[in-house]
Amino acid sequence: MHEIRVGEDLRDRNREIAAENREHLRAHGIVALNVMSAPGAGKTSLLVRSIPLLAARHAVGVIEGDIQTTTDAERVAALGVPVYQIQTGGVCHLDAAMVHSALHRLDLDAIDLLIVENVGNLVCPAEFDLGEDARIMLLSVSEGDDKPKKYPLMFHEAQLLVLNKIDLLPHVVFDLEKARRESREIQPALDIIELSCATGEGIDRFTDWIDRFVEKARGR
Amino acid sequence: MHETALMTNLLAIVERAARDGGGGAVRVVHARIGEFAGVNVDALRFAFEALSPGTAAAGGRLECEIVPLRLRCRSCGADGPSSEFVLACGACGSTDMEIVGGREMEVDYILTDDEPPESGAGR
Ligand SMILES: Nc1nc2c(ncn2[C@@H]2O[C@H](COP(=O)(O)OP(=O)(O)O)[C@@H](O)[C@H]2O)c(=O)[nH]1
Ligand SMILES: [Mg+2]
Ligand SMILES: [Zn+2]
Ligand SMILES: [Zn+2]
Ligand SMILES: [Zn+2]
Repeated sequence: MHEIRVGEDLRDRNREIAAENREHLRAHGIVALNVMSAPGAGKTSLLVRSIPLLAARHAVGVIEGDIQTTTDAERVAALGVPVYQIQTGGVCHLDAAMVHSALHRLDLDAIDLLIVENVGNLVCPAEFDLGEDARIMLLSVSEGDDKPKKYPLMFHEAQLLVLNKIDLLPHVVFDLEKARRESREIQPALDIIELSCATGEGIDRFTDWIDRFVEKARGR
Repeated sequence: MHETALMTNLLAIVERAARDGGGGAVRVVHARIGEFAGVNVDALRFAFEALSPGTAAAGGRLECEIVPLRLRCRSCGADGPSSEFVLACGACGSTDMEIVGGREMEVDYILTDDEPPESGAGR
């Protein structure tokens, strides 16, 4: 028997493509955000609420990741911004190659803020770099305050945590303080914003965060 | 379920390593999988059984070593296994911590026969 040391990561190929995406995006002056959450936490709702505000200051483009349907892309396209829909055909996360082909189908000169809605999943999107500048994690209060501890990597990888559906707080058992504290144990630098896509409360804090982030990213 | 996609990458890595390493038949593929890497090891094994026939790894066995979470403090250098995913140093209290283990998804090594199978001869 002959032992061959390998030491190669299964994500190496993804990392290479993500680095290419990052170059593409940088060359076009685009800041890219990867929005992640469990299914139903409110990613599309947040885009629908915030894009009309963001579009006043940014040339927004969207990539929608979905396992099968196109309904989210249609909801976003109705806002009048360019959208490209990736159907992953069963795969539970977006990878850099899928985003790469999407980038070639969008007019990158017409965009300076790209928002990618990842496939709804609390586990694996954390491990797949897409070439984004920041990751935004959504947790809705109806999912329970134990999620950061249960799925730490997703929270660890995020720059911003959006706690959505705060309109439901009177009806669900969700300890905001605990969720904030445990998320920051996992990622001490995490920014946290509470909001409701149903009532619109806090959406301005979210768009302010994006404005500040874009400004910082461009200054780099 | 993304273990199928991961397996395609794993098999490509094994294929290259086996070829560059002399072309002997692959007997063992030893993978290291972090406990927080988001990989379901049973699904990975299943994907290996399903996808390895017809590749360089055909007939080989997949071993999965689970790597526990390990954190390192950038302030004081404390380094060790951690039962909890909490980025606060037990020694100095700093939150400037680095994850140094527990996220792996890699082919560590493979074991092959010493000689490549003789061409033409049935295996
Ligand atoms: N009560 C309430 N429902 C919300 C809120 N945000 C989203 N929803 C609902 O949650 C469901 C899933 O939202 P969606 O945006 O499609 O989630 P996604 O799967 O993360 O894109 C929809 O029925 C939304 O109307 C919110 O702030 N409050
Ligand atoms: Mg959606
Ligand atoms: Zn996945
Ligand atoms: Zn390209
Ligand atoms: Zn320390």
